[in-house]
Amino acid sequence: MTDYLALVRDIVTQAAARGVEAEAIIMDSQETQIEYGTGAVEKLSQARSKGLGVRVIDGGRVGYAYTSDFTPANVAKTWQAAVELAAVASPDDYRRLPTPQPIPDDDLEIYDPDFEAVSTEAKIDLLRRIEAAVLAQDKRIEMARQVVYGDEITHVYLANSNGFAGQYDRTSTFSYVFAFAREGEHAVEGIGIGASNFFAELDPDSIAQEAAESALMALGGETVPTQTCPVVFAPFVTAMLLGTMAQAMTAEAMQKGRSFLIGKLGQDIASDKVSLMDNGRMKRGLASAPFDGEGVPTSATRLISEGVFENVLYDSYSAAKDHQISTGNAQRPSHRNVPRLGLSNFYLQPGVKTPEEIIGEVENGIYVTQIMQTGGIDPLTGECSMGAYGRWIENGELTKPVSGVTLATTLPDLLKNISEVGNNLRTIPIMGMILAPTIRVDNVMLGGKED
Amino acid sequence: MIPLELVTKTLAAALRSGGDLAEVYVEDRTSLNLTMEDSKIETALRGEDRGAGIRVFFGDLVTYAFTDDLSEASLIAAAHAAAAAAQGSSYVQVIDLTQRQSPLEFPIVKSFDSMTIADKTALLCRADEIARAYDPRVRQVLGGYQEVNRKVWIFNSEGLHVEDDRNIVELRASVVAQKDDVLQRSTIAFGGQKGLEILDEHEWDTEVRDTATTAVKMLDAKPCPAGEMTVVMPNGWGGVLFHEACGHQLEADFITKGASAYAGRIGEQVASPLISAVDDGTIPGRRGSLRFDDDGTPSQRTQLIEKGILKEYMWDLTEARRAGRATSTGNGRRESFRHMPMPRMTNTYIDAGESDPDEIIAATKSGIYIKMMAGGQAELAKGDFVFSATEAYLIENGELTTPLRGATVMGNGPKVLTEIDMVGNDLALDPGIGTCGKGQAARVSVGQPTIRIPRVMVGGTA
Ligand SMILES: [Zn+2]
Repeated sequence: MTDYLALVRDIVTQAAARGVEAEAIIMDSQETQIEYGTGAVEKLSQARSKGLGVRVIDGGRVGYAYTSDFTPANVAKTWQAAVELAAVASPDDYRRLPTPQPIPDDDLEIYDPDFEAVSTEAKIDLLRRIEAAVLAQDKRIEMARQVVYGDEITHVYLANSNGFAGQYDRTSTFSYVFAFAREGEHAVEGIGIGASNFFAELDPDSIAQEAAESALMALGGETVPTQTCPVVFAPFVTAMLLGTMAQAMTAEAMQKGRSFLIGKLGQDIASDKVSLMDNGRMKRGLASAPFDGEGVPTSATRLISEGVFENVLYDSYSAAKDHQISTGNAQRPSHRNVPRLGLSNFYLQPGVKTPEEIIGEVENGIYVTQIMQTGGIDPLTGECSMGAYGRWIENGELTKPVSGVTLATTLPDLLKNISEVGNNLRTIPIMGMILAPTIRVDNVMLGGKED
Repeated sequence: MIPLELVTKTLAAALRSGGDLAEVYVEDRTSLNLTMEDSKIETALRGEDRGAGIRVFFGDLVTYAFTDDLSEASLIAAAHAAAAAAQGSSYVQVIDLTQRQSPLEFPIVKSFDSMTIADKTALLCRADEIARAYDPRVRQVLGGYQEVNRKVWIFNSEGLHVEDDRNIVELRASVVAQKDDVLQRSTIAFGGQKGLEILDEHEWDTEVRDTATTAVKMLDAKPCPAGEMTVVMPNGWGGVLFHEACGHQLEADFITKGASAYAGRIGEQVASPLISAVDDGTIPGRRGSLRFDDDGTPSQRTQLIEKGILKEYMWDLTEARRAGRATSTGNGRRESFRHMPMPRMTNTYIDAGESDPDEIIAATKSGIYIKMMAGGQAELAKGDFVFSATEAYLIENGELTTPLRGATVMGNGPKVLTEIDMVGNDLALDPGIGTCGKGQAARVSVGQPTIRIPRVMVGGTA
């Protein structure tokens, strides 16, 4: 087995001899993906793959090249391409590779040592159990259209010419299912997702239940009159809103005028029920790692504290620009990506009320379990509009299904109008790793039929 | 890329425990990405990705293994991994591989190398200068250039041997304007399966200036009213509605599972007689075009709907085999050698009708006209769709009046298709930068003439 840590060190040493700063990353992973449907495995895919990415900074100009071919000649060609590409970029004095800092050696519990021992049969069995559990939820559930399992064992090796060299291993598993429900003419799907660093923590029943509930809540339904009303968002939907919100809370978004929160740091921007955190060192966090995509130790950052906008997320570039220190948020989904500022484990601090209590307090409003949006929630303009499905709430009770309505608000209003945060934090692996509870938002414009 | 002898050996290894069909998919991809923001070329990135995927069909089970190492040892190991789940029901022999040529010509007039990287970055920098010079309210310009060359070789145990060489180019600039607390964004972008001749087909400077004009103009846009109303959708990009709300429902994987509203309805009237829809992967220069799809099937033009009657679905090899069909429609696509193909659209559009587009607006007493959209999303089982408009106008007494912001249009695709009451004669495909996400990314084109939906839900804040 090749010593990849030695290889990345070697590459940065050679490139640095050209008078540039250099950083090399190797990601070596092993993955399985299984698709199961109507009682049998439909697709089974297995692979081992690796990749090298080299970033070169020459007088503040960045060049990047990647490859999956590790022959010595090709490796040399790759770092040389990065050196040459740097020549066409614009110089920027803040573009520097970080200087090495000590990496805390606490166990983040992101590697499952028993992982390799999990048999393919055990993984298929999990899918079998999810399918059975979905079908058992309700007779209106016609099928589990797609039941998918995936896992990955990743070994990360990173070095830079300032002397950083580090490595870590991570395991991750996920499983999701689309529950397909039909009643008369109406059909709808609901998704249930589970994700963890540990295979044993995937719970087929909760994945199945989430999918079935999401489908059944949205089954059938009709529009309601246009009005302004409170909205209760289920965790999956909250996660989608938080993911967009997060994009507006990076230093990069602020510096480049890409955020609706420009100039709002230190101000009261949300209801006092809102505390937002990003924690790259969360134990058993799917986005946790000892160091980030450029070798900076990860950390916990409080973005909003009881409504006050306190901090933004930094990588080393945006931090240098603001004379701050990096929060360790340079993300690196694969060797093909230049490190990019983004969220790690991002979550809304849970409250004390159960989802049932939150719904129970709404006199007239809507409980939203599914939304449709693309480009409708904009971290730049703060505009926020989406199509929504769910149930009408009347005197604290869930009543008729609702569909074909739009919800419109703005992200500043949404933050101010969050009047309840539930105690039910769910891990939703979308747009990064988001942990989200049920929330209530008041004064949302609901577009439906005319009275 | 790999000697034929080794391909044959790999296919045989994949079938060593049985199976109906084995396939070797080899890919060699190179790309260049340039991005600009804050008046700076931020990144210049070159990448290469090379590897092979081995697939084995055993009845309804499909197994897959991929490797980024094209050595004999790695290919055989991957073939054995794919064979490991064998059920040993049938044994087939590998038939001689004879290369088959595509009749399609996708000419590249000016190769990617005909321009230096420095000249490519200069295009982005010029967009920045033009947009900022237009108006002081322009506060940010984001630019991007991408070129991708993707060569694929597909072989299977039935003697299939085809190659495809796909060149994709893309140029974009997004202009952000600000007035007080209001921010608006407008984007110019174009691309396709072609070479740098695309630059000669466009007036980059003028188009960038027009984009800046729109971004500044939209600062004075009024919030969009909410409620049910008449909506006129533009030609070109407007086709994303059909793609999202109906196209996905015509993909065979949703059909064979019975999850689509169109399952089992071939020959039925599913849309207004004004509607004919086509998926065509053979159009030269278009972003979704292919000589062969990623199963190795020749690309084709498929009439999906003709005068409102459902004619055909979009098939890949896996679903065609599952349904007992002799052939697929050439819609099997994969993001890379790391993925198995699935049924996907190529270039999908609603065909031209007869109305003059100006007359469509003139015939509309009140409603909204969508000029630019920011993409869309669909709920597959219901067939519901939503998309938001980045540029829209109020229609009053047959004329475009107030610019509107924050408009969202939501409806049910199959229902809207039966309700469309005017179809223009101005068919156009989009500018060629669309990417569809269905678990895997696929470059696609959408298109349509101007169309009118008499009544659909519009979301807004006013
Ligand atoms: Zn799509």
